Amino acid sequence: MNAIVTIALKDLRLLARDRAGFFWVLGFPFLMALFFGAISSGGSENRAAMPIAVVDLDRSPYSRAFLSELRKSEALQVREAPMDSARLLVRRGQLVAYVALWPGVGKSMGFGGDSAGIELGLDPSRRAEAGYLRGLVTAATFSTLRGQFTPTGGGREMVRLSLAALESDTTRTRDEKLRATSVLTNLERLMVALDSSEASAGTATDKGASRATSTETAAGPNMRVVDIAEEENGPRNAYEITFPSSVMWAMIGVCMSFAISIVHERIRGTFLRLRLAPISRSQILAGKGLAAFLAALGATTFLLLFAAVVFKVRISNPPALAVALVAAAFCFTGIMMLISVFGRTHSAVAGAGWAVLLIMSMTGGGMIPLIAMPAWMQTVSNFSLVKWGVLAVEGAIWRGFTPQEMALPVGILLAAGVVGFAIGARALSRSES
Amino acid sequence: MASIEVRELKKSYGTVVAVDGLSFLVDRGECFGLLGPNGAGKSTTINCVVGALQPDSGQVTIEGETDPTRPSVRMKIGVAPQSIALYEDLTAQENLEFFGKLYGLSGDLLKTRIEMALEFSGLAERRKGRVSTFSGGMQRRLNLVCGILHDPPVILLDEPTAGVDPQSRNLLFDNIEELKRLGRTVVYTTHYMEEAQRLCDRVAIIDQGKILALDTVEGLLRAHKGADLEAVFLHLTGKKLRD
Repeated sequence: MNAIVTIALKDLRLLARDRAGFFWVLGFPFLMALFFGAISSGGSENRAAMPIAVVDLDRSPYSRAFLSELRKSEALQVREAPMDSARLLVRRGQLVAYVALWPGVGKSMGFGGDSAGIELGLDPSRRAEAGYLRGLVTAATFSTLRGQFTPTGGGREMVRLSLAALESDTTRTRDEKLRATSVLTNLERLMVALDSSEASAGTATDKGASRATSTETAAGPNMRVVDIAEEENGPRNAYEITFPSSVMWAMIGVCMSFAISIVHERIRGTFLRLRLAPISRSQILAGKGLAAFLAALGATTFLLLFAAVVFKVRISNPPALAVALVAAAFCFTGIMMLISVFGRTHSAVAGAGWAVLLIMSMTGGGMIPLIAMPAWMQTVSNFSLVKWGVLAVEGAIWRGFTPQEMALPVGILLAAGVVGFAIGARALSRSES
Repeated sequence: MASIEVRELKKSYGTVVAVDGLSFLVDRGECFGLLGPNGAGKSTTINCVVGALQPDSGQVTIEGETDPTRPSVRMKIGVAPQSIALYEDLTAQENLEFFGKLYGLSGDLLKTRIEMALEFSGLAERRKGRVSTFSGGMQRRLNLVCGILHDPPVILLDEPTAGVDPQSRNLLFDNIEELKRLGRTVVYTTHYMEEAQRLCDRVAIIDQGKILALDTVEGLLRAHKGADLEAVFLHLTGKKLRD
């Protein structure tokens, strides 16, 4: 074991001192992730409208007006949906939130007593969007309320219905009925007065409405917020797509650096010296493999930690991510061993190795994200180990893979690693003897 | 008693016969030279003796053991390969530490051996220098001491002076003579007859994988009536050593 660790540490030290090799292992993948992430993200000023769903369970003129008010907001991208669909879409991260208008919200105009007429369903972790969205919904509530007191609004209908209900109510005393009727009648007169005032001086009405809004804001609409924990199976930003790809570029960089280092050792004669030491051939290969494995694991861990801290890339399932990285590092260690016997010279191994790995990367999501690939290309990508690596990492980051779903990419990576290492080690041993 | 015994050693690369039934004995404490032109089979013979190559047939015995790939045998062998088998991006000390650890050295013993090796090779002042900054002669000396750091009784040197300037060559000769004085068994391959004449107790002249003559330098000169080994080689093969 000491010999294996000694060889691995020596190789890692050599990698750290090889600036070109180090660049391909860490610098290039890092730049790829930053570049493609930046051009895919765009600036914050171009931020897209928040997609939300409105669930209209009231089906009243008020709820239609409310929906219409929300649609006017440029900050929102509104669609109607049934409750089940809306909740599911929020859970899947395809919508920021849903706004449900419960039956009866039209009668209370969003301010009804104890029971909330408006329900806001969103992921509790999205606090910034939540505050913004509550503000937009509140504004829409007041705008709708104001609309209800216009000649075409439903406010007068509500007063008429309330007067009729009061007339037939047998639970109240005569005095109570008289007082309530007086209030409602005065309210109706006020609406008529507001109509004439608005017709003669629109500006003054706007000011009055503004004051009314300000007053109402102190109490605010009766809104209930429901936590909908997002399943986190969609990328939140471009970096959640580019960093898994960069992980694969780091694996490829490690793979090529160590494959070429084996050729270099064979040409230089240090490999012969290793073979003449009192250690077995399998210890030498294990040492080389351990170095590549640790380099791959270290580089990719650094990339993902950086992505998580700086670009807020989610690591929703750390244990699954650890498994994915170990499997991918193991796979590319095996492929490294195989590539190292593609030729006896640097140029032969570098040429053949990059040719194979670039094709794997192009078809496997290293350049074009898997989710952006056409169907036929996704089929072709099944033959690329890069695809399974990206899938395993994305599965642990944002695809929300279950252990069963993780098993396929992880299994393929491990199997490819075993096959690659076995063939490569055997070919290397045969060519040396 | 023989330190190395080689019997009917054969090795081919495809249709090319590199070593063709070679047999020789090397006594303990002896410096034995394998003298021949490029492609004569010297390096293949060395690689078969140390177990880096599997011979097609024949037997090699080192210090009484017949399998040179066994770790216990490898601990008894030190090799300086023909190529400069060092890590250029590591320092002299780091190279020595690495190879020492592979031979099981550690702690104070490793430090002591490294100090001795650096003094022996005259590289103590450059211990922190990367090998890539060394001259050819310095690299050759480090190449030698990396192979003998574990203090083996049997040392095989495959053209250790190739591409080295005269001054560095003399330093290497001093190193090898010191190893002889310490009683180490040395097998030395070269195509420089003056090296063989200066260092070797006995010399085997080989060409095309076969031993053409084997004796002390004086014995060869006497038997073949040559002024030097170059003349002896010319007499035996009809061609010059460095053709």
